[in-house]
Amino acid sequence: MKKGSKHVSWLISLMLVLSLVLSACSNNGNENTSDPAQTTNDAAKDAEKKEPVKLKFTYWGSPDEKKAIEGATKKFTEKYPWITVEPIQIPNSDYNTKLTAMAAGNDIPDTGYMTSDLGDTWAKEGKFVNLFEMLANDPELKKENYLDYIWYKQTPDNAWGISTAGEAFGLFYRKDLMENAGVATPPTKAENAWTWDQFVEVAKKLTIDKKGNTAMDPDFDPKNIKQYGVTFETWAGPINNFVFSNGGDWLSKDGKDFTLNSPESVEAIQKLADLINVHHVAPSPLAAKSLPAMNVALQSGIAAMAIGGQWMNLDLGNAKVNYDLAVLPVLKKSLTVAISGATVLFKDSKHPEEAWMLFKWMSDPAGAIDLYSSGLWMPTLKSWYTDPALIAKWVDANPAAHPPGFKDAMMNQVLNNGVPDSSYYLKNQAKIVSVTLSSLDAVWLGKKTAQDALNEVAAQIQPDIQGRYDVAE
Amino acid sequence: MEYIEKMNAASRTSKKKKKLKNLYIGLLFVSPVLLGYAIFILGPLIISIILSFTDFSIGAKSTKFVGLLNYKDMFTGKDFFFFPAVKATAYYVLISVPLTIVFSFLVAVLLNQRIKFRGFFRGVFYLPVIIPIASASIIWMWILQPDFGVANYLLRLVGLPTSTWLASDTTVLPTLILFSLWLSGSTIVIFLAGLQTIPSHLYEALEVDGGNGWHKLIYVMIPLSSPIIFFNTVIGFINSIQTFVQPFIMSSGNSGSGGAMMGGPDNASLLYVLYVFQNAFRFSKMGAASASAMLLLIVTLLITAMFFKLSGYWVHSEGDDSRK
Repeated sequence: MKKGSKHVSWLISLMLVLSLVLSACSNNGNENTSDPAQTTNDAAKDAEKKEPVKLKFTYWGSPDEKKAIEGATKKFTEKYPWITVEPIQIPNSDYNTKLTAMAAGNDIPDTGYMTSDLGDTWAKEGKFVNLFEMLANDPELKKENYLDYIWYKQTPDNAWGISTAGEAFGLFYRKDLMENAGVATPPTKAENAWTWDQFVEVAKKLTIDKKGNTAMDPDFDPKNIKQYGVTFETWAGPINNFVFSNGGDWLSKDGKDFTLNSPESVEAIQKLADLINVHHVAPSPLAAKSLPAMNVALQSGIAAMAIGGQWMNLDLGNAKVNYDLAVLPVLKKSLTVAISGATVLFKDSKHPEEAWMLFKWMSDPAGAIDLYSSGLWMPTLKSWYTDPALIAKWVDANPAAHPPGFKDAMMNQVLNNGVPDSSYYLKNQAKIVSVTLSSLDAVWLGKKTAQDALNEVAAQIQPDIQGRYDVAE
Repeated sequence: MEYIEKMNAASRTSKKKKKLKNLYIGLLFVSPVLLGYAIFILGPLIISIILSFTDFSIGAKSTKFVGLLNYKDMFTGKDFFFFPAVKATAYYVLISVPLTIVFSFLVAVLLNQRIKFRGFFRGVFYLPVIIPIASASIIWMWILQPDFGVANYLLRLVGLPTSTWLASDTTVLPTLILFSLWLSGSTIVIFLAGLQTIPSHLYEALEVDGGNGWHKLIYVMIPLSSPIIFFNTVIGFINSIQTFVQPFIMSSGNSGSGGAMMGGPDNASLLYVLYVFQNAFRFSKMGAASASAMLLLIVTLLITAMFFKLSGYWVHSEGDDSRK
């Protein structure tokens, strides 16, 4: 090559490389469009003679959740005509990215959902309003009105977020598939919950290969499965149900040590992995990633049972699936993990009062009953679990999304045996959870035992352990 | 005479003036590009270099300089995901780039023959490039689903062994590499354009000397295509080391509450840019992410430089006698 052209090619290669690295760094977040339907009644606005206020509310969720949220904010605007709400839907997987970008661009919403990992990071930086202060000044509501576990706390008297809804886990199952297999339906009350062995046996009967053999048959072909007995996801929430039930935890009581490698925790995780690799009754969660969502898996009969969250009721109800709910199988103690994204008020909001009003509106089922009766949420206010008249308004109002087992297996279970998820108390959770879950992949694949994988994690993660929020330092 | 000289001098200065004016106008016309480059590429690059020495995190109250700590954390493995990311990226790049080059070149050679339905086949190979890569990724995820996907169904139908595709740490990268072959339409088109510029008298000369198709490939097509092979290798390398969308969509978790894993299973497909993204947007560690991005820049620069250095030994340029 000639010398001159060499210089040019050098320059070109330098430019290519520069633009590569930069395009790698830049983030092409999806611009989300607001709903033009959120217009206010101008006449009413004039009548009120209040300064018009516009609130930005960010959230994630399914198309049905979008409909429910937009309905609730619309009603809110009807009641308070001077406040317009712009609901912005962001896919859950992009939520942290998008919010981080919005924060970088000084375009933070007034209120919205918050993931527990980003919330944990941002709470430390003082980005949220202390909800306990708002409650203390509120004439209508008291802290005691809410379920006990639902606060995301930094310290005992500073809550950076509140659970958006009451959510917990249960065993969803297709009634007709149970009947076809001739097995008894699972129990709805905690005291009757299936033992693990009972659960595995039923799951085996419900797992059918392409030739029609079940996992109980000697000719069963685990490589050609047509219907799985059960399906579950492997993020922290679902796993915690069994770790906690077996007496395990992520951290020691004093928050100093990683204890997911303790015998109790390991046993629970190994049992889940054995569903996939030993009993062949569940699809590999890594393969399940390319399966349709669990509700669709149930609906289409790919799986007969699903260890799923309460929110699945929304989609199952809308699709009119023939399903019911039971309590989860028990290891040592019957419980359900209470979990939810957080709702937060951002400190940078110019309208904290109005944002608080919107938050109260959404968290009071009276104003936004569709969010609850549709099956998406359970209330965060205690009275809605105990007062039969109120229960009738959200549970009985929509039996399609609240099957017969719902009251015992979900509503009462979370009230009586609900245990807060690790997301409520784990400090530095983004890092700890990511490292742990990515190492557990080898366990789901059957390449490592839970003990080995978690021992390795324990050695690596110890420097990142920062304690727990539910223990005073 | 004097008059003519004067005239010449005048025209010289006016020429000079005109030249200068042309320069200004020219600069004016290219200014959008230069400004865009400065604002959107050069500026962020410099900022990124600075950030790589800090613990910057968006929304943080204070940012302090931490020196080389971010770099140290990578190399000492304190950043748990660094070595898996390097391993996955090296594997991916080392296999996918040569494979894509060989595959695309052979396809281009075939598409350059006088075959039936040539237009149709050329279209087929280019088609994947037109499909948005995100949608294509999702469709392939369904096709490759181990239990219910079409791919394994077809394999079973003809009695071949099936694969776990994206669902296992040993098969996920080979699957992504296959996917990159599927996406190699642009490379094929460039090869094809190059092959069409080869003058037919070279083939004819070879035929006169009794050469066959194989000889045509070895003695004519490959040497004369070497500048294009070189170009495609460099571009292919730069593209493949920055692969992001495929593993982001096909092998990353999407449960936002509490740590969505990226580049699974078991970090096997945690390609480097995904790792940078994870640090920046999942862990809010912009400083560390900038440092990793800088490292990528340096490595890419060095390897590209190496390509250029080595190109002298094998790249054939028409009419260039100074070839070593």
